[in-house]
Amino acid sequence: MYAAPVQDLIDELGRLPGVGPKSAQRIAFHILKLPADDAMRLARSIDVVKRTVSWCRRCFNIAEGGDDAECDICRDDRRDPTVLCVVEEPRDIVAVERTRDFRGRYHVMQGAISPIDGIGPEQLRVRELLARIEGEGVGEIILCFSPNIEGDATGLYLASLLKALPVRVTKIASGLPVGGDLEYADELTLGRALEGRREVDA
Amino acid sequence: MHLDRLWLSDFRSYEAAELVPAPEGLTVVSGANGEGKTNLLEAVAYLASLRSFRGAPGEALIRVGAPHAVVRAEVDRAGRRLLIEAELRPSGRDRVQVNRQALRRTRDLLGSLQVTVFAPDDLTLVKGGPSARRQYLDDLLVALHPRHDATQSEVERVLRQRNALLKQAGGRATPDVVATLDVWDAKLASAGETLVAARAGLTAALSPVAAATYEQVAVSAPKARGAVRLAYQPSWDGPLLEALAAARTDDLRRGVTTVGPHRDELAAWIGELPARTHASQGEQRSLALALRLAGHSVVTGRLETPPVLLLDDVFSELDPDRSAALLAALPAGQALLTTAGGLPPGARPAVTVRVEGGKLLD
Ligand SMILES: [Zn+2]
Repeated sequence: MYAAPVQDLIDELGRLPGVGPKSAQRIAFHILKLPADDAMRLARSIDVVKRTVSWCRRCFNIAEGGDDAECDICRDDRRDPTVLCVVEEPRDIVAVERTRDFRGRYHVMQGAISPIDGIGPEQLRVRELLARIEGEGVGEIILCFSPNIEGDATGLYLASLLKALPVRVTKIASGLPVGGDLEYADELTLGRALEGRREVDA
Repeated sequence: MHLDRLWLSDFRSYEAAELVPAPEGLTVVSGANGEGKTNLLEAVAYLASLRSFRGAPGEALIRVGAPHAVVRAEVDRAGRRLLIEAELRPSGRDRVQVNRQALRRTRDLLGSLQVTVFAPDDLTLVKGGPSARRQYLDDLLVALHPRHDATQSEVERVLRQRNALLKQAGGRATPDVVATLDVWDAKLASAGETLVAARAGLTAALSPVAAATYEQVAVSAPKARGAVRLAYQPSWDGPLLEALAAARTDDLRRGVTTVGPHRDELAAWIGELPARTHASQGEQRSLALALRLAGHSVVTGRLETPPVLLLDDVFSELDPDRSAALLAALPAGQALLTTAGGLPPGARPAVTVRVEGGKLLD
């Protein structure tokens, strides 16, 4: 057993995604060996990010500011509010923005349906999406999920949920490398997939 | 196709080893038990399937104390040369290369090399539970076309998701559970139907070939029982989507998926007898050999080049008559064979190497 502060650090690191007990130990000892300045910089950036960055209250993208913050895209009134591109994570917004082909707004589900990881619809921003369709006069929803099993499942679920609403539901064209993540698609391919989006028949 | 050269580094018991098998005919690897003969065949098969044919986990293939293992082979496919390489890492995330180009996804290596493995426990193929027979079909499908690997992993993954959801639901069909089950059912039905159609088509192609290969390897009297016949038996009738809907209440109660490709059976008969339950041990052994030979023949026919034959200590389990029959039935092409004892009469090795203390000796 290590001294309590060291063990606490290992336990905290071990809670991070993709970090097993072995890696947690390795990172903890790396931090112990760091010059004090470097370690404090890491601690400070965690502190700063938690104090100044939160989720956009509208689309759940990353936003600067407190609880009622809005992201740059939602605040930009040149963006078309009638078209919503629905993605899994904020990193997917970066991928779509890189194409420069999309002038609408986004909605981030903050995950994909995956019972193995304990994620069902109730863990996602589904209710918030439904509220926006009603409240913001949305005419088209573009489902833009990673071409893998969980992304497909989330798209299918939303498509069948939205069927009853007066909104056009489309899905980006296939053609992205299957099994990969959206963020790995190059902007040309992703741009073409957006361009070639088709109505979903759920 | 054939292996021109095989290099191992920190794979199982080998710190470093190089094997140059005969391009045609029999390469015999001899040595006492426990010296690591099978490890050589396991390494070759790993490049073909990215897993151990003995069912060992990936980290067991890395030599104790080594950071990773490397298996590299020079393969000749109808005159086209491929240098293929897999670096096995304890994390399970292998790095693979073809002609020194790293592949983005590990599974893209599949299709570079095909092998047919005869293992000492092949009897379980006939005698054991249905999962061994489904695996037999699935391995052959991947050898026929790597796209089947994607379908198989999709079915597996969707099943894991669906089963996780069924367990979490705890028997209660809330609107969210129903809506998400609908999604998994749709995905399982589409991938499952694709897989099952491929398995059934393969079974139809295998059945007459297995009947012929059984005639070759079956010895003496039992031939009188009649021809070998194979049939694919799905665990449901009609469209899979409807079967899943019909099974839903039951599935929710039990917390598992009760119909689908993971519950199917590849049934085999010798004449009128179900081979699994009614054939003698000798007949079952012959049938296991016949199934391996039939698979090899079907893959050879479609790829227009025979997979590399890997025979792991097979003669130790066979009586002299069956050994001789297998030897006579072995198709042309490259074969790597391990043995702790002698060879059956009539075996003519082109190359012989001896394994001793983790080293290959000429
Ligand atoms: Zn926003």
